[in-house]
Order: sequence, then C-alpha cells, then structure tokens
Amino acid sequence: MANEENRIKKVTVNRDLCIGAASCVVAAADYFALDGENKAVIKEGGTANDETLMLAAQSCPTKAIFLFDGEGKQMYP
Amino acid sequence: MKSVKYLIIGGGVAGTTAAETLRGLDVSASIAIVSDEPYRLYSRIMLSKPNFFLQKIPFEQIWLKTESWYKEKNIELISGVTANALDAKAKNVTLSSGEVITYEKLLLAVGGRVRIWDLKIPEAGVFYLRTLDDAKAIIAAVPNAKQALSIGGGFVSFEMCDMLRLANLEVSLILREAHYWSPMLDEASGKIIERALEKGGVKIYRNAEVASVLGEKMVDGAILKDGTRLACQMIIAGIGLSCPTDWLKNAGVAVNHGILANEYLETNMPDVWAAGDAAEFRDVILDEQIQLGNWVNAQMHGRAAAFNMTGKHDPFKLVSFYTTQGFGITIAFVGDSRPLPERTVIPRGSADAGSYGRIIVKDGKVFGATLINRTNELGLISKMIEKNVNVAGREQDLGNASFDLKTLIV
Repeated sequence: MANEENRIKKVTVNRDLCIGAASCVVAAADYFALDGENKAVIKEGGTANDETLMLAAQSCPTKAIFLFDGEGKQMYP
Repeated sequence: MKSVKYLIIGGGVAGTTAAETLRGLDVSASIAIVSDEPYRLYSRIMLSKPNFFLQKIPFEQIWLKTESWYKEKNIELISGVTANALDAKAKNVTLSSGEVITYEKLLLAVGGRVRIWDLKIPEAGVFYLRTLDDAKAIIAAVPNAKQALSIGGGFVSFEMCDMLRLANLEVSLILREAHYWSPMLDEASGKIIERALEKGGVKIYRNAEVASVLGEKMVDGAILKDGTRLACQMIIAGIGLSCPTDWLKNAGVAVNHGILANEYLETNMPDVWAAGDAAEFRDVILDEQIQLGNWVNAQMHGRAAAFNMTGKHDPFKLVSFYTTQGFGITIAFVGDSRPLPERTVIPRGSADAGSYGRIIVKDGKVFGATLINRTNELGLISKMIEKNVNVAGREQDLGNASFDLKTLIV
C-alpha cells in the first residue's frame, strides 16, 4: 500500500491548456499556485500525496495537469 | 416506475461530481443523472475561452468524461430531458418525457439559464453563450461575420471580445453602465480593463443599450438608444442568468434568487439537497447566504453535497474565486467582493501602473478582493479569508502594494 501511495513521480502543467480556473489550487493548495500570468505552477518545495494530486488533476476543467509514474508512464489524463 | 437511491437533476460539473463522489462512497447504490442537454459532461468553463473557439485547443478536449465512463461507474445518464415537477412527499420527479422517477435522496444541480432578450430579433445572428450548442453556433457564425456586437460587462463578454478580435472581427462592446463591471468594480479597475480592450481594438459604448436589432432573417445591424447605428452580422448577448425554479417552488422548496440551502447544502425539504450555480447557500466563512456562478464552487458543492447525502454532516467550506485573462491582463474575483455600504474597500497597487487590487474589509475581516494583474496574490487573500485573519488596524499594510501579505498569515 505504501508503494501505491507514492507512485506519482512527475507532475507537469500544460500552459497552453491552463485557463487559470485554479481548481487545482483548491484541491492541493500546498502544491499548486497561480503565477502572474494566471497559469497554474508547482510551488517551490510543494508537497501533496498521490490522492491529492490525482484529485487536483481530475478537477482541472481543461485536463492541463499531467501525472507520470517513476518510469515516465503517463498516469493521468 | 423507475426507482433510484440517488437522483441528480443536472449533468454539469456539480451534478456529475456529486455522482462520481457518491459512487466512491457507495459502490452498489443506484445513481441517475437527469440532464436537459443531449451531452455527457463537458467543460462549460472552456466554452468562452478564445483558444477553444479558435480551435487552437482540439474540440475533443471539451469532453471531461467518456461515453463509457458512465457505464463503468454504473451511473445512468438520462440526457436531453427536463425535470418538470417534483413531489417531495411522494419523493418523485416527473420528467418532460413523461417518465416518473422515485428517489431516496435528491440533488438539485440545475444550473442557470441565460436571460433571453425581450427585443424583436431576426431569426439568425443573435447568440447567447451557456451551452455547448450555443458555442457551436457561435463558432459556425464567426467566419462569416465582419462586425460583431458584444453586450454586457462580465467575464463572458470580456472573453468573447478577446475571441472575436483574435478572429479579426471589428468588435463593439455595449455597456449599460458607465464603466466596465460596474458596480462590482470601481471606476479605476474598470478603466484598466477598458484601456486593455480599447488597445486591443474593441470600441466601447458606455451608458448604452440596444434599442432595436436590424435585419429580416439575418442580423445586419443594431440601433442604440441614443440613435447610434452600428453595422454587425452577429450579436452576442450576455445579459445575465436566471435559475428555473418555478417547478421547485410549486413543490414547496424554498427559493429566493436561487434554491435556498443551509451550510450542509440541504434545502428546506427532507432528503433534497442543492448544489452549483443554482444553490443559494449559507457560506460559513463569510457568514452570509450567497449564490455563486463559478466552476470551482460548483465542483466542490457537488462533492460536499454527495458526502452529506450519504449521511455525513460536514458544512461546505470554500473561499470561492474566478479568474480570467485576455488583452494582456488578468482579472480575478475572490470571496465575496461586493462593495456593500457597510464594507470598506482598500485599494492596493496603482491603477495607473495597471496592477491594481481592492481588498474588501468589514469589522477587521477580509471578505473578498478584486485583483487586476495581481493574480499571484489570489492564494494569499483566499487564505486570509479562510483563516479569518484579523486585519483591524492593518489597513495601511493591506493598501501598501509592496507589503508582503504572507506576513499577516500565521
């Protein structure tokens, strides 16, 4: 179970898709923030567990958040 | 007669998030969604985004659920029908198809409808923007138009102006008010937006209203109340939203502008909840009854209502916000940013320099903010509202643009 909880190894935000709806900021406030261009960015030293990250990615209305595992395999979307 | 445990009226983000959350909490319960649109869940917030309109983002990106998702989750989607009547005692809903569905728990996530113009209008050329079909009609019309009118001063109108300019149309914006987004924004904020619009080639008519629309079958112009005649082949009317609540009122559900709900999103009727744009709910952070029309609020409502429908009793807590960008500027509204008489508005930054915020304070508590080109402060201000930070005596700091708001949050 411990392994499963920590499978997400890389998170990226596609800035062309991001519209600044900030649902990710609500879902994972310690991990995502909006920058001056109204785009979601990953906070410096940001932390979140897998469940929170998945919820944040799934909440994005433009599917702009991409999650990858340790082998670089895309987990979401 | 069909019978389900959880019946959800509305297939938008509030209703669908509720269904998904319910399925996570209850693996075997029967769940049905009734949607008056003929589609599965799509991204309504993307409908007004220029990149979507100009097809810089593939159209397919609009779908947030696959057809098979509903089957996999064992959620029945009854689409293209309206809920017409509720019997809250017998616990059933009658649909426009004639079908009657009984429920154990009901969620009303009916959303809003665009207000329709009461002017005489030609058959084609006047558009509203609320549904995917509305957006498809606008996408089809844009390549054949040279001039367009956008009516109203809100988010959708701002984004439509951006899209129409990017598509190289001549755009006139008709504002009933003296400045953009009045009275939600002050004149200084409104002027920054207007400057950006004008620099982007939008012609603005203030204190103006359309008196009549010209054209037999197709729109070919409009006349304003002051007599100004404008040529146009399309008009996008952003003249407000309303919630269809008559059928609920008849059933004894308490409604005001929206469906009244407490902090648990329960209505006055047993086993009936409300969520999303249509819910006028008790906000425990602001200690007010409010109704909000934005994506994040609807999504989080859906989630919270689902938890409470399965027997939890947790109050809904969220500092809501909405942001947009276009014409080189960003605009954000946080919390409850209405400048009501008993509230103080603290300006932050410089309207002249184009980076300008307003923090709305009452009794030493931050209620909301409007931010132009200061979106990066959205997170901090949300936190101040959420944590109920006492800002009495700190008004000068709030108004000092170089003061780091972070230091107020412990």
